[in-house]
Amino acid sequence: MRFTTLLVATALATMTGPALAQEKITLKFWDNQQTESGLSQYQQEAVKRFEAENPNIKVEVTTIPYPEYQQRLLTAVQGGNAPDVSTLDQIWIAAFAEAGAIIPLDEQAKTAGIKADAFFKGAWDSANYGGKLWGIPFNVDVWSFSFVNNALLKEAGVDPASMVSFNGLRAAAQKLTDPAKGRYGVGLFAHKGEDTVVVLDSFIFSNGGKVLDEAGKCALTSDAAVGALAFLQSLVPYAPKGILNASSGDMRELFLNKSLAVEFWPALEQPTLQKSSLDWDFVVGHAPEGKKPIGTFGGWNLAVYNSSPHKEAAWKFVQFLTREDVNGAVVDLIPANVKAAKAFVQANRKGGDRIIAHLENAAPRPLSPRYLEISEIQVQLAQNVYSGMDPKKAAATACAAIDALK
Amino acid sequence: MKARRRRARRVTLMLLNLILGLIILLPFFWMVSVSLKPAVEPFAIPARLWPENPTLENYVTAFRPEFRVYFLNSIIVSVSTVVITVTLALLAAYAFTRAQFRVLSVIMTLVIVAQMFPASAIIIPIYKMVKSANLLNTYVSLVLAYVTVTLPVAIWMLRGFMASLPLTLEEAAAIDGAGPLRTFFEIIVPLCRPGIVATAVFVLIVTWQEFLFALSFTSTKDMRTLPVGVNDFIGQYGIRYGELMASSVLISLPVILIFFLLQRQFVAGLTAGAVKG
Amino acid sequence: MTYRDRWLTWLFVAPALLLVSVLMYYPMLGTVVESFYSTSFINPTPKFVGLTAYEKIVGSAEFTRVVWNSFIWTFFVVVLQNVLGFAAALLLNQHLPGQGLMRALVLLPWVLPGVVAAVLWRFMYDPQLGLINSVLMSLGLIDHGIAWLAEPTIAMGSAIIAAVWKGFPFSCVVYLAALQAIDREQIEAAIVDGAGPVRRLLDVILPGMREVIVINFLLTTILTFNYFDMIWVLTRGGPQNATHIFPTKIYELGFGQFRFGEAAVYGVFSILALALMITLYFGVQSNGSRRKSS
Repeated sequence: MRFTTLLVATALATMTGPALAQEKITLKFWDNQQTESGLSQYQQEAVKRFEAENPNIKVEVTTIPYPEYQQRLLTAVQGGNAPDVSTLDQIWIAAFAEAGAIIPLDEQAKTAGIKADAFFKGAWDSANYGGKLWGIPFNVDVWSFSFVNNALLKEAGVDPASMVSFNGLRAAAQKLTDPAKGRYGVGLFAHKGEDTVVVLDSFIFSNGGKVLDEAGKCALTSDAAVGALAFLQSLVPYAPKGILNASSGDMRELFLNKSLAVEFWPALEQPTLQKSSLDWDFVVGHAPEGKKPIGTFGGWNLAVYNSSPHKEAAWKFVQFLTREDVNGAVVDLIPANVKAAKAFVQANRKGGDRIIAHLENAAPRPLSPRYLEISEIQVQLAQNVYSGMDPKKAAATACAAIDALK
Repeated sequence: MKARRRRARRVTLMLLNLILGLIILLPFFWMVSVSLKPAVEPFAIPARLWPENPTLENYVTAFRPEFRVYFLNSIIVSVSTVVITVTLALLAAYAFTRAQFRVLSVIMTLVIVAQMFPASAIIIPIYKMVKSANLLNTYVSLVLAYVTVTLPVAIWMLRGFMASLPLTLEEAAAIDGAGPLRTFFEIIVPLCRPGIVATAVFVLIVTWQEFLFALSFTSTKDMRTLPVGVNDFIGQYGIRYGELMASSVLISLPVILIFFLLQRQFVAGLTAGAVKG
Repeated sequence: MTYRDRWLTWLFVAPALLLVSVLMYYPMLGTVVESFYSTSFINPTPKFVGLTAYEKIVGSAEFTRVVWNSFIWTFFVVVLQNVLGFAAALLLNQHLPGQGLMRALVLLPWVLPGVVAAVLWRFMYDPQLGLINSVLMSLGLIDHGIAWLAEPTIAMGSAIIAAVWKGFPFSCVVYLAALQAIDREQIEAAIVDGAGPVRRLLDVILPGMREVIVINFLLTTILTFNYFDMIWVLTRGGPQNATHIFPTKIYELGFGQFRFGEAAVYGVFSILALALMITLYFGVQSNGSRRKSS
């Protein structure tokens, strides 16, 4: 018996992996992975290049599927085992800064000559909290573009250009909907997820509304915001059933099988559509007549952790990844570096100029350390609106909850 | 008359069997069907039971090099867990059934109900402990967690089994001059074989599909297990159903196979043991 | 009992006891302690707040909702899973051709990894693409697709069905084993006495399986109450909180919104609720065995 125990123990001990000390510094870099891309391969190539440029630094890359990324990071930070450097969703920056998990990078950025204007404004803003810079923008995208199925539009006699206005979108959605044929005009979704919130926000922004005002109080009860909610509610008859548990992913499947004429997605959707046999195009968001659509910024920043023993090396790696000649090769969204982004969309995306224009005009989500709670309240708001509650009342409920967070 | 009634009964039973089979198999059949659908072919409305152009391409994608690493990791972790859990459970179950003092029965209750804590509520404290023991990203951390999680049920299963063994066995051994340790290893353990098989299969099935600990304790790809690996196909905004279902089929196959081979012993082990309560 | 035997007994129990106390009870105590502090990710120096968080949470509509949902979820999953498991076991205990294969197949859902089973069911329930609507429509039972998981009134029911599918095989196998352990002679005797199948079930089979049934209910109650994957993947507790249960609420508060203190309060209530149920079961069980022995 004792022998078996010993045997198992030794076996386990030898299996604990190569954690031996090395002369080199080993940097732990964590990133989430989008399933749409075969990104890890490019990242590995970039890491090799970085290691060649910095022979005394070895980078250990950990990629984590998005659904678990937040939990993994949180557990690691709480357990005192954070990586040295990682990508952080824009909406987590304030919380991670407030928690003391990451360090301000103002000094380093100043010394290295990294300036705000090299990046998209919304992305740079999302890395700033409480007057300090907490991360360098890594990649960005914007919610949302309205991808359209050209064949369905043609059949229903809808001109994509007409859809730019709110009324045009509704009229088009109505024409494109024919439940008897299993055809739907517009893909609404309101499951518990951030995609629900960013689409809601972009309609509120485009209608001139805001989520929080300058003082940080809820602004969803403004006429502009309530108007946007009422507009979204008026689209419900033209959306596939099951909005309250649908995600952007579900809408994509319907778009791909030609039951859905219009879907809301960021530019990240393009590679999937390119691989399909669909004849597609996209409209750059929607706004009331005469106004310009404002999208919601999404994306990731690179942050250096407070617990890292190798902050200097970590900073070097951040600089490397956001460099104009590297950034485009290591992201699956769009590089946050504007010059790299322009080259990237020209090479990899259809309608590059329109994408860049939409990015430059996009607005970030509220920069609050309690953003995740605000987001949850907004999901409830979306679900209430889509299930028929009076938009004014739904907004009042949401604002009561948001203002109670203080 | 009687024969006709018998036949009617048989037909009814067969029909019920068919319904049961359908309930169980329909979702599986669809899973396999989705796994055979070409990635570029969109889903049909209404849903098709069988894809138009079945292909194995999803299986090729699913069986990528990482998958083989995950597979090996899963085997190492599961087998270690099964061995350790069953060993510890045998010891504890023996003590719980043979010794009869009050403190012990309280302890037994405490051990057996320990599975009532929701994993999401205790994962951070456990993570901190694993971290301070310097065991993160090791097989040991996973095996420790799995042994703890599976031990209560394993003890319960084996306890029932051991309780059914007559005390006279040990008395006879004692008369022959065998010490308690020898009695345990040479007489009790061999007699428990069906119970051991049943418990081992149970522990294997639970361990093979565990996700939360596996995700939290491992950080590099070379340490991940299969259930975590499957999640590579679930993205932020979309799911790659074909590859997900293909790798799910691949993941389930080994356990299904093992269960198929051992089902007789599994049921027999439960019969003789756990069901005695 | 000799001194040495007692010593040996402790030695046998020690590893299990040690593991369970260090990795289960100790973290649980940590949860209880944490529930008295205002801890969150963004508030790294926790303040002792006593019962403040409890007061805030217990009075909230959300809490009532979670308690009620957890009750409905656990009750129906456990009862349906055991009834279906028992019925399937009775069926599989008959001598019919192909029964060996059926006994192996019946365990398939249990063997499938939890996350995968949940993704599979979410897809089955899809209002447009799902197999369930497609089958029901082709049978003419419904004339348009139902949004199984998006209607607050039916989402819980749909989640329960998926969980029963995943869980009943285990109950079935345990009951099957118990059925095979029942004394054939007793059943033969009942048949000679002229008892029909229903009488046999009520008078011989069920009493003989009393303990197995109690234990199985206990086990499935614990597992179901803490069952996280299914609801998390199907609905994440939505729509409009219609399916939020303790484990999903704890995960959402702790990992989704960084509110550890409040998650701990839910954790404490979750443990209390289970402890209550377990005590009840043990009460029923010891009551039963006392009656049997008297």
